[in-house]
Amino acid sequence: MRQEMLRRYISFGLLAALVLAFSLTSEFFFTSNNIYNLLRESSIVGILAIGITMTIITGGNDLSCGALLGLDAMVISRLLYVNEANVWIAITAALAVSLLGGLFNGFLVAILRIPDFIATLSSKFVFSGLTLMFAIRSATGMITTKTLSDPTIKWFGGKLDFGLYYVTIAFFALAILSQFLLKNTRLGVHTYAIGSNRNSAELSGISYIKTKFAAFVMSGFCAFVGSLFFLGKIRAADTESGIGMEFQAISAAVIGGCAFTGGRGDVVGTVIGVLFLKVLENGVLKFNLSTEMQKVLTGSVIVIMLVFDAAYNKYMQAKTSKSAVIAREKREKKVGAQ
Amino acid sequence: MMHNPENLVEMRGIDKRFAHVYALKSVDFEIRRGEVHSLLGENGAGKSTLIKVLTGVYPKDGGEIYFDGKPVEINSRDDAFNLGIACIFQELSLVPTLTVAQNIMLGKEKAKLGVLQKKSMNREVSELIKRFDFPLRAEDVVETLSVAQRQMVEILKALSTNASLIIMDEPTASLSSKESEMLFRIIGQLREKGVSILYISHRLEEVFQLSDRITVLRDGQLVGVVPKEEIVPADVIRMMIGKELSEATASRPLKVSDAHTVLQVRNLTRLGSFEDVSFEVKAGEVLVLAGLVGSGRTEVLRSVYGADPIDSGTVLFEGKPYRHSVSTAIRLGFGLIPEDRRTQGFAPLLSGTRNVAVTNYDKLSRLGVVNAKKEKQLGETMVKLVDLRPANPTVPVGNLSGGNQQKVVLGKWLTRDLKVILIDEPTVGIDVGAKDEIYNFIEQLAARGVAVLLVSSDVAEVLRVATRILVMRNGKVVHEFNDGVVTQENILLVSSGMAEDHRTEAKE
Repeated sequence: MRQEMLRRYISFGLLAALVLAFSLTSEFFFTSNNIYNLLRESSIVGILAIGITMTIITGGNDLSCGALLGLDAMVISRLLYVNEANVWIAITAALAVSLLGGLFNGFLVAILRIPDFIATLSSKFVFSGLTLMFAIRSATGMITTKTLSDPTIKWFGGKLDFGLYYVTIAFFALAILSQFLLKNTRLGVHTYAIGSNRNSAELSGISYIKTKFAAFVMSGFCAFVGSLFFLGKIRAADTESGIGMEFQAISAAVIGGCAFTGGRGDVVGTVIGVLFLKVLENGVLKFNLSTEMQKVLTGSVIVIMLVFDAAYNKYMQAKTSKSAVIAREKREKKVGAQ
Repeated sequence: MMHNPENLVEMRGIDKRFAHVYALKSVDFEIRRGEVHSLLGENGAGKSTLIKVLTGVYPKDGGEIYFDGKPVEINSRDDAFNLGIACIFQELSLVPTLTVAQNIMLGKEKAKLGVLQKKSMNREVSELIKRFDFPLRAEDVVETLSVAQRQMVEILKALSTNASLIIMDEPTASLSSKESEMLFRIIGQLREKGVSILYISHRLEEVFQLSDRITVLRDGQLVGVVPKEEIVPADVIRMMIGKELSEATASRPLKVSDAHTVLQVRNLTRLGSFEDVSFEVKAGEVLVLAGLVGSGRTEVLRSVYGADPIDSGTVLFEGKPYRHSVSTAIRLGFGLIPEDRRTQGFAPLLSGTRNVAVTNYDKLSRLGVVNAKKEKQLGETMVKLVDLRPANPTVPVGNLSGGNQQKVVLGKWLTRDLKVILIDEPTVGIDVGAKDEIYNFIEQLAARGVAVLLVSSDVAEVLRVATRILVMRNGKVVHEFNDGVVTQENILLVSSGMAEDHRTEAKE
């Protein structure tokens, strides 16, 4: 069986087992209220994780998307509160900032050839710095957090009558779209090809630069979408908003089957990974288990997944080299028979 | 200049220099339409350089290339690709996580508004597969395929770009005989369709089975172009070795030493690398493992040293088994001079002293604290021992010449009380003067009673240093030369499988 399929079954099995265990042991877990809340909690990290998945499949990463989400939220807050701008102008400005952020990452990685990890770590600091510069300050110069009351922003925090939040709908819609993009479009195939074997992809006429830019711009776009729903829920941006979310998103992608070496993984896997992380978090809270426990469990699951990948690769290598021996024996026999 | 309209490719007077050394000197080479043309030569004869010039990997320093009768400049692999020159290098140029169809259509996918027309692509690739009757499906993911199947995908990929020349570099290296025969059948089909094949293989039997013509290179120069019907394998080997060899390296008398056995290897097997390898090395002997690249010699060396695991068999040091690990081997008095000194032999940013100290910290340190004075002395000792130039042990080893880098690697072990030294291709990329110095060190070590086990693909080198020779082929020891006089021709005939195999047991 292929590694992807096995990984899908394992991560899905883990998620199902966790849901089952919590449902059986807690009457609160499988209530509609809790499920909708759980999905709401998953959605913003999930939206970021979709963008990160794109960058990881190209063989890279994006450590800056959490900070970019925070910057977008701050841009909107400032424009609305300080400049009293129209809400759509504020949102458009945030979209522009996000896309520029993605282009900036693409420039660092694809043009200046800085490794993804270092490039996006640097841009993360740049984005956080900009967030501080845009922060709303009181007359004495102290940074203050202002709650927004704009109805459009409030709408982003809303839900359907039966309880499903808009953010969850946006998460799943974005997931379906990007899964289609990866599996059924030219850009998607190129994304896998660049991550899996860059040399061969370039020799087939695929542009490394374009593909990398596309992945980072998509990651930037995801940060923008995330920032809208983040503001809808929290109603305010502070200087730390979004920071650290990228690590949850990366964890989700890894649990879902993305390989840091590129070329492997997809959005469906990442969605399973996000749900797994959030179900674990939710269950731990419901059971009054310590958050330490939750962190240890998350870490352990990631390690198990990576051990599985390593073991699988070793197994495949052994299989290939054994078949080489068998092939050689057949050859020798044939030579002997002649 | 007159052009033969039969020629698809003509290379005229190709020069290629690396620093001051000519890798190719005024080489003429041509391939006709629809012929299978083999390129032969020993390692370092210039085969791969010529291919790299033809495929745009290396720029040429002189000469002209004509393709289809027109002069062309091939400055990149893209240029070669656009002309219709495709290269099949092992299975490296495929994307493992994509399907056969996606790989073949990579970069020229059928799409409407960016959305892939998967069905129509799969259908097209299926038809292509059917036309050649390959055991493949368009939907198969490449990483699940065998090496032979991956090669077929590469061939299809080349054909789908309308390649008129396909270069195959050692294509049968990891194929079974059945798979090889399928490849030969495919090559026949391609030839009938007018595709030219440039075939490179160490296996002379294949070359003679497949080729229309054979070009032989030696020392970067053209030796000759011959139609297959007009020659026999022994002629080709003579062309590869050359006739004007000096007496000293053309042949060598061998003998079995009567000293005590230091290293004994019994039925050693590592799946996929080598099988049932047995030999012994006596004090003061230089046992050479000869054979072709990829015959499993390096792997034997690394396993004896404890760097790679073994699946079965035993290794005895002075009659006793030892724990299979590098640290044990070093403690017992083993040393290894690895094949690729740049990646395995030394730390380029560190000084000569530090590099030599790495294998000597047992003597230089106490409770983990290094005695700086002793370390400095060791560096100075090494400089004298190997005659390092410049005679300064503080220079980062990466800044030294190839020969002096290799001397530092030697110095790592010469400064120890050595019992066994394992040496892998010691003079690749080293100039002639430094080569002789390195041979002298090897002889000095042997004279001191060290057991030397050496891997070399350079037949002249084998004859320069060996006291006994084992030939490996396809992971097995197929022949032993242990007495009488051996010539380069003997070794090459056995290595390439064109001579009867027999292994004469070493006399006790």
